[in-house]
Amino acid sequence: MKKLFLLILIFMLCCFLSSCYDRAEIDDQAFVIAFGLDKGKTNFLRMTFQIAVPSAFGQEGGGSSGESGEGKEKHPKSVTITTIESPTVYSGFNIVNTYVSKQLNLSHTKVLIISSELAKENMGMYINAIHRGREFRNTMYICVCDGSAEEYLKNVNFVLDISPSKFYEETFASHRYTSFTANTQLIQFISRAKSKSINPVAILVGVDRIEKLDDYSKENTNYKEKGRENYFGGDFAAGNIPKEYKNKTSAMGLAVFDGAKMVGMMDGAETRYYLMLTGEYDYSYVTVPDPVVENKFVLLNVKQSRKPRHNVVMEGDTPKISVKIMLEADILSIQSGINYEDPEKVEELETASEEFFKKDIVRLLEKTTKVFKSDIFGFGKSMKWKFLTQKEWDEFSWHDKYPNAQFDIEVDLKIRRPGLILRTAQFEN
Amino acid sequence: MEKISIGNWELSALVIMSFCTKIFLNYPRVMSESAGSAGWILSAYTSLLAFVIFTFMLRLYKKNYGMDLIDLGELIGGAPGRIITGVVIISFLIYFIPVNLREFSENMKIISLVISPISFVTLFFLGTMILAAYFGLEAITRVNAIAVPVISAGFILILVLVGQLYDFSKLMPWFGTGLQEIFIGGLPKLSYFSEIIIFFMLPPFLKKFNNFRKSSYIGFVFAGSFLFLSTLVFLLVFEYPTSTESFLPIFQLSRLINYGRFLQRGESVFLLMWSFAAMLYLSFGFFMLLYTFKKTLKLEYYKPLIMPFAVIIFSLSLTPPNLMSAIKLDTVYFLNWGWLISFAFTTLVFIAAGIKKRKGKKE
Repeated sequence: MKKLFLLILIFMLCCFLSSCYDRAEIDDQAFVIAFGLDKGKTNFLRMTFQIAVPSAFGQEGGGSSGESGEGKEKHPKSVTITTIESPTVYSGFNIVNTYVSKQLNLSHTKVLIISSELAKENMGMYINAIHRGREFRNTMYICVCDGSAEEYLKNVNFVLDISPSKFYEETFASHRYTSFTANTQLIQFISRAKSKSINPVAILVGVDRIEKLDDYSKENTNYKEKGRENYFGGDFAAGNIPKEYKNKTSAMGLAVFDGAKMVGMMDGAETRYYLMLTGEYDYSYVTVPDPVVENKFVLLNVKQSRKPRHNVVMEGDTPKISVKIMLEADILSIQSGINYEDPEKVEELETASEEFFKKDIVRLLEKTTKVFKSDIFGFGKSMKWKFLTQKEWDEFSWHDKYPNAQFDIEVDLKIRRPGLILRTAQFEN
Repeated sequence: MEKISIGNWELSALVIMSFCTKIFLNYPRVMSESAGSAGWILSAYTSLLAFVIFTFMLRLYKKNYGMDLIDLGELIGGAPGRIITGVVIISFLIYFIPVNLREFSENMKIISLVISPISFVTLFFLGTMILAAYFGLEAITRVNAIAVPVISAGFILILVLVGQLYDFSKLMPWFGTGLQEIFIGGLPKLSYFSEIIIFFMLPPFLKKFNNFRKSSYIGFVFAGSFLFLSTLVFLLVFEYPTSTESFLPIFQLSRLINYGRFLQRGESVFLLMWSFAAMLYLSFGFFMLLYTFKKTLKLEYYKPLIMPFAVIIFSLSLTPPNLMSAIKLDTVYFLNWGWLISFAFTTLVFIAAGIKKRKGKKE
């Protein structure tokens, strides 16, 4: 009995002793919310850490800059930023730990920003190092900055949020209702970068350079490439958004990869079609040209009614890819005032919208075969079904065949609801 | 100790726990390494094959029910037969308990107790093993019977919560590394059911053969299903070859649980049930090691053996120079040859005992 009591006592002591070595007081940790990688000037890497300052969270409006009241100081920032240069990712953490007074903790890191310069060189080795680390979460977002990651992190301003982590979570989840970015979490990126049937993408972020909207030039957009007379919402990418706002940064478009090497960029509208083609599209507002009146537009709230159907057939070495995209839409606005709500006219709008989407989708697909040479849509997955063993599939080498692909696209759009107006009555004059 | 009796569900729970704890170590990854995207087929195949062989073994064993493997060894070859059988089982246990102890401790170190020395972490598990051995088989089986449903529920919860990441195209190509690799090359993976040898030490604690058979079957069905589901879900989420990278597959799955700001960081559930499962598994194995040793040498008590054996197990667990070596001892050597002891040797003992008994009747 005595022995048993002693054993139970030892066992219980184990529970209390367990924190001796690995004790980690929350107060002693510096939680990195976002971290960026650039090419270094004096060493291989320039690393920027955005570290949470929890003491600022509870204070009035602690999220960003601005006056809190008369005679008071500017609000304390909810994050602090530090940049260092180091040869590797983990040696960078060591350097920062020497001067930030608390130990860096990456278990709450929401986003990894990589500069496009570094991404174009091949970011495989950095991603592998991060993937191996226990603290990094596979659910954090991977973004590519068209410019410097350091500049991006220094310019982020959490205008509406007190919590920086909430800012990133909500910003990068906005693809559900904007369709201008996509869900590019670390695990998805790694899995695709090593896959033989699909290539990865990463959210494109940037710092918008214009101070005033009047300074914006529409030459920064892709409207000419798309054969339009003016730009539509989404014909630009992050860093080139026509906006005036306290937060100079933006996320729009995608960086396209071949393995772990960046090979190109897509703007917001192309990202929307990417989402439609992969079946990740939820809903968003889309402007389409009025089929009858020139320079007038119809605004639709477009949803994906069903997942797209992919079919891939090989003809020699040429993949023939057919895709059927099924959409439905609600009318939000008809600038011309034409009564497209009328069941007899709605078909005209549906057909015109289908053509509009189809043209842009084909353009994007051809860009991925001719320019990017990268299957980011996962058509390879439809081809993989036809192989019985991994060896056969590896030897088939889908990524080498994709650039020869030819497409047959079908868009089926049905307009379901006219909003709160059932019939457009014309204004006087 | 012979008066102790094990209930039907308690045996089923022991079978489930013994076969399934390795899910938390490396099982889904090893299946994927061997069969690529068809790891789930390999898992179903080996589970089914193990079940068939077990059924066959039960038929051979039926007439000698009530005797454990060591009794059968004695029946076949007297004292030398008993000692040889005992030494084989002890060697088996003394190989896989330290290896698994080291793996579990290393995992705990990697996941949670990063700075703690490995010996310190190992002592946690060892402490539980010692305590469980003092309490004996009845306590182990009772705790196990309560813990298995809770751990199973946590495990199923993880598999369900990563459902948003399922992608069935990741299971293609259908036959992964090839039919030969699955159905011929995968045969040694039967070793994942090596604990079967320990179950044939338990019949003296169960009254009827039918109870033993029924409970084992129930345990087998649950264990086979869990092993299969773990591999299937792992491959639905991690595409080959990324699936061969994960050191702790189910831990990696649990880290992917992310339902907005409401539900994330599922590894906290994982950590709890994983360490609990590891403690139960190691405690049962450790107790059976002591029991086998006691029975082999016809000792009266096993409790004086607890501390010496604990020191041996502790020392052996720290022998591999690193985690990679420990994993190699488990997934290369043990997995390729373990079935020889657990299935081939046990079957031979049953056959020999059957022949001996028939001869004895004739004489």
